[in-house]
Amino acid sequence: MKRAGLLLLLAGVIAGWWMLRPTSWSESDLPTHTPDAIAGEKIFWAGGCASCHATPVNGRRARDADRLLLGGGMELDTPFGVFRMPNISPHVSDGIGDWSELDFVNAMQFGVSPSGLHYYPAFPYASYARMRTEEVMDLFAYIMQLEPVASERPDHALVFPWNLRSGIGLWKRLYLDPAPVIVLSTEDSVLQHGQALVEGAGHCGECHTPRNSLGGIDKSRWLVGAPNLEGRGGVPDITPVAEGFGDWSESDIVYYLETGFTPDFDAVGGSMVAVQENMAMLDAADREAIARYLKALPANQPAE
Amino acid sequence: MSGVKIPALLIGLVLYSIAIASDDAPQQVRQDLMKDVRQAAKPVGNMLREKEAFNAETMMSSLMVFAKVADQYGAQFPEGSESGFETEAAPAIWEDREGFDMALMEFAEATKIAIESGPQTLEDARTTVSPIFKTCKGCHDNYRIED
Repeated sequence: MKRAGLLLLLAGVIAGWWMLRPTSWSESDLPTHTPDAIAGEKIFWAGGCASCHATPVNGRRARDADRLLLGGGMELDTPFGVFRMPNISPHVSDGIGDWSELDFVNAMQFGVSPSGLHYYPAFPYASYARMRTEEVMDLFAYIMQLEPVASERPDHALVFPWNLRSGIGLWKRLYLDPAPVIVLSTEDSVLQHGQALVEGAGHCGECHTPRNSLGGIDKSRWLVGAPNLEGRGGVPDITPVAEGFGDWSESDIVYYLETGFTPDFDAVGGSMVAVQENMAMLDAADREAIARYLKALPANQPAE
Repeated sequence: MSGVKIPALLIGLVLYSIAIASDDAPQQVRQDLMKDVRQAAKPVGNMLREKEAFNAETMMSSLMVFAKVADQYGAQFPEGSESGFETEAAPAIWEDREGFDMALMEFAEATKIAIESGPQTLEDARTTVSPIFKTCKGCHDNYRIED
């Protein structure tokens, strides 16, 4: 009887470990692909890497060429605690200079560090998991030819229970899913490109979709707007409804992403400024694809 | 005679300042100023976007509105006006006054250059007026609460 209890406990521990363990790829899982750093630059802007990882200048957001100095140091103050952005410049000891391509893919698409730790989903790998792995490899090639930046490596300061990393294993079982969010019944390649940008690299859903108490995205209310996790105010609805992009044309959305102005000439603000400036670095065709996808979203989702 | 006049004057003054306080709270004034900017920016933006024909006169009157606001705006954020009137002013304005003033200065400088250049064509406007638009988010990224 006692032995059965022990066995059950052991089984429980093993099952728990299995549930919470980081899942990642090994070398043989990588697709055959010759990385293209030039293609990777587009991914870099679409992915908004600089918005979190560029080192602030005089306490303010990095702009223009300073966005390429990825020494980290920015802080994200959320209800879960303070996340401190790491250095992802190709610096060997402070950044990711000693990473392999596989390490980078596992970080971006599985949320696992080279030493096998779970990353917090403040790093939007749940969105990046929807990217094509070839694009991730292109991005790695691009980042590795940027300037190495030396920096400190401060830890996050999270509140219990979020400071327990193993819990992220459970979170991933619930919310890490590389499948597309919206099922498109169309062959329109522009729309598909827009979907890839918005749901994948662009990770728009990370801020524009409400989260539940565990920090999981509520996909039944995809992009309908959400409270701002970084402080007061809210993140707007960008679905084609009256409170969102209902009155905007595709060309209005394109113009906004390019210049930062709404049809009423209100100017972009808050964290969206950095996002908009990233979007402005893409090709016009990319912005058009994003606009077409947003206008094609279901307009009958329950609002925030 | 003068004994009567002074209290009357004082009462008048008090009433006047109450009137000022309710009509012209800085929160209200700055919201009105920003509304002026949005309204003036719309025809300018639509010209740059080629949704409206270029009109040098409209352009200049909008630029004058920008200049007026750039001149008056910074004074509308005294201590004590951090909240109320559904203000969207972020605490960063008071925490980083230098950065806020600098961002506002960029708007003022760009406007001054555009006015001095006196844009007569769409091409002129692209050169000298477009840079003003780039300065808007200089304030809005850190100093306005998004809602």
